[in-house]
Amino acid sequence: MSKVFTQMKRTNLDRIDWRLLLTRTRYFVFGKEADKGLIFRVFIYLILIDTAYIYLNPIMYMIATMIKNAQDLLDPSVVWVPRSIYTGVLTDAWTKLKYPNAFTISMIISTSVAVLQTVFCAVAGYAFARLEFPFKKFWMFCLLLTFVIPLQVIILPNLIAASTLGIMKTYYPIIIPALFGHGLKGALFVIIYRQFFSTQPKELEEAAKIDGANVFKIFYKVMMPLARPAILVVFLFSFVWTWNDYYLPSMYLNGSKEVPLSMGISQISAELAQQAKDFGPSIFDEPLKMATSFLIILPPLLLYAFTQRWFVEGVERTGLVE
Amino acid sequence: MSTATRKIKASTIRKLEGSVFIAPWALGFLIFMVFPIGYSFYMSFHQVKILATGIDIKYMGLKYYKYILFENGNLLYNQLFPFLRQSLLMLPVIVVFSLLVAIMLNQKFWGRSLFRSIFFLPVIFSTGEVVKEFITQGEGDVDFLAKYNVSSIISSYLSPTWAKPVNAILGSFVLILWYYGVQILIFLAGRQTISVSVYEAARIDGASPWDVFWKITLPGMMPFILLNLIYTTVDLFTFPTNPILSQVNSSNYGQSSALAWLYFAIIFIFLGIIFWIFNKVQKASNTGAR
Repeated sequence: MSKVFTQMKRTNLDRIDWRLLLTRTRYFVFGKEADKGLIFRVFIYLILIDTAYIYLNPIMYMIATMIKNAQDLLDPSVVWVPRSIYTGVLTDAWTKLKYPNAFTISMIISTSVAVLQTVFCAVAGYAFARLEFPFKKFWMFCLLLTFVIPLQVIILPNLIAASTLGIMKTYYPIIIPALFGHGLKGALFVIIYRQFFSTQPKELEEAAKIDGANVFKIFYKVMMPLARPAILVVFLFSFVWTWNDYYLPSMYLNGSKEVPLSMGISQISAELAQQAKDFGPSIFDEPLKMATSFLIILPPLLLYAFTQRWFVEGVERTGLVE
Repeated sequence: MSTATRKIKASTIRKLEGSVFIAPWALGFLIFMVFPIGYSFYMSFHQVKILATGIDIKYMGLKYYKYILFENGNLLYNQLFPFLRQSLLMLPVIVVFSLLVAIMLNQKFWGRSLFRSIFFLPVIFSTGEVVKEFITQGEGDVDFLAKYNVSSIISSYLSPTWAKPVNAILGSFVLILWYYGVQILIFLAGRQTISVSVYEAARIDGASPWDVFWKITLPGMMPFILLNLIYTTVDLFTFPTNPILSQVNSSNYGQSSALAWLYFAIIFIFLGIIFWIFNKVQKASNTGAR
C-alpha cells in the first residue's frame, strides 16, 4: 500500500491513478494467475457450496422430518423448521429398533472387526511392502484377486461351512475372517497399508537392525508408531463399513433375534408394509423411517465428527495409492 | 567360505521372517478365498440340497449354465442389460466428477477443511442401507429436470434403449454423487504424489493453469484414474442393492453359484474392456503429446 502511495506521489497523479486502478481491479477480478482471481474464487465456492448442499440436504431433511408432529407433517408450508419439536417418533423408533440391545451388538461386531483388521491387515501389508517371502508375486496376484472377486461368489460355500460348523446365527462368521486380515474389504486395507509402508524411508529399519532389533521388534516398535495415519484411516473405514454392512448379517444372522442395527431399517420397513396392508398407510411412516436411519448413522457420524481432522490428514499422508 | 554360508543363512532367515508375517494372511486366503471359490465352482455343476442329515449332492453338468444363458432370460439378461448400460454411463460421470472435486479441494481457499469434512461424508454413508432410504425418499431428484421437461426431450432424440438409462442417471444424479467417497480419497492422495516443484517450474515458464492441468496434472493422475475405474466398477457391480446379486441366495445353491460365476465372468470382461480402452487412450495421448 505504501509502495503504491509513494509511486503516486512521485508521478503525475491522475493518469497513473487510472491505470493503477484498472490493473488492480483486473488483478482483483481475474487474478495475477488465473486461479487467484475473484471470478474463479466465486465459481469455485459456487460449486463447492452446491455440492455441499447436496450432501447435507438429505441429512437435514432427515432430522427435520423426524421431529415434526402430525400437524406440521400435513401442513405444506412447514418444510424445514417445524413449529414444535416432537420426539414421539424418535422414541417409537428407539423401542422398535430395541436400540440399546442392537447398539451393543453392532458395537461388538464393528469394534472387534475393526481392531482385528487394523492389526492383521497391517501385518500382511508390511510383509507385502518390505519383507521377502517365497512366491511374493503370486501372493500379490492373490491379493488383487481378493480385491476384485465379489463377495457373492464365495458367500454360499461360506454359508454351508458355517452351518456345518454350527456357527450360524452367531457373530463368528463375520468376525473370524478379520483375524486373518480378510473380511469385509480386507484386501483394500492390506493395499492401503502396503502403500503406506512402502513410502516410509528404509533407513529407519536399517538403523534399528544395526541396533540389534529383530523383525518383530522393528514392526512393533518402529513401523506401527509411524503408521498412525494409516491406522486411523483403516480403523475408521473398517468400523464404519462394518457398522453399515447389511449383506453379511442378513446372510449369517437370518432369522436370529439378536441382530445389529444395520438390519433395523429393513425390519421396520417390512413391519410398516404389513401395517399399511392392514390399516392403511400412516403419515408417520416416513418420519419413522427417517428416525430409524438417524439412530443408525448417529454413532458413526459422531465418530467421524471427532476424528475427521486427523482422518483427512491421514488420507493425504497414507498415499492410498498405486 | 564361512561368509558365503552366513550370507545364505541371512537370506533364508529373512525369508523365514517374511513368511511368518505373511502366513496369517496366506492361511486366511486359503480358508476364506480358495476353498469357497473352489467349492462354489464345484457347486455350480451340481444340485445341492442341505438336509438335516447332511448335504445331498447330485451331478448336473452344465445344466444350470445352459438354463441361465439360453432358457430363462429372467435370471440374468432382463436385469443385466439395463444395469450394464447404466453402469457404462455412471462410470465416467463418477470418475470425472470425483477428479474435479478432488482437484478443487486441493486448492488453497478459506474454509477448505470444512468443505473437506463435508465431502468425505459419502465415505461414511455410501455403504449402508441409509442411502437406499434416500433413494426411496426421492432425494436423488434434481428439480430443474422436471421444470424444463428434459426427460421428454431426451426420449424424443435418443433411441428408447439408451434414453431410459440416460434419464435414470439424470434423475438420480445426486445419488451418483453419493457413490464416490472413496474415489475422491484416492484422487486426493494421488494428487499429493505430483511434486510441487513441477508446478512451480511450469509457472515460471509461463504456463497457464489450463495448460498445467492438461500437461501436468492429468498425465500425473492417469494411474489413479485407472485405479478408480477399477474400484468403481467392482464397487458398482458388487453393491448389495444390485438387482442381479439379490438373486444369489440360498434357495438353490447350484443355480445361484452358476449365476454368481457367470456374473463374475461378466465383471472380468468389463474390467478387461476398461483396461483395453484405457491403454488405447493413453497411447493416443502419448503420441499426441509428442
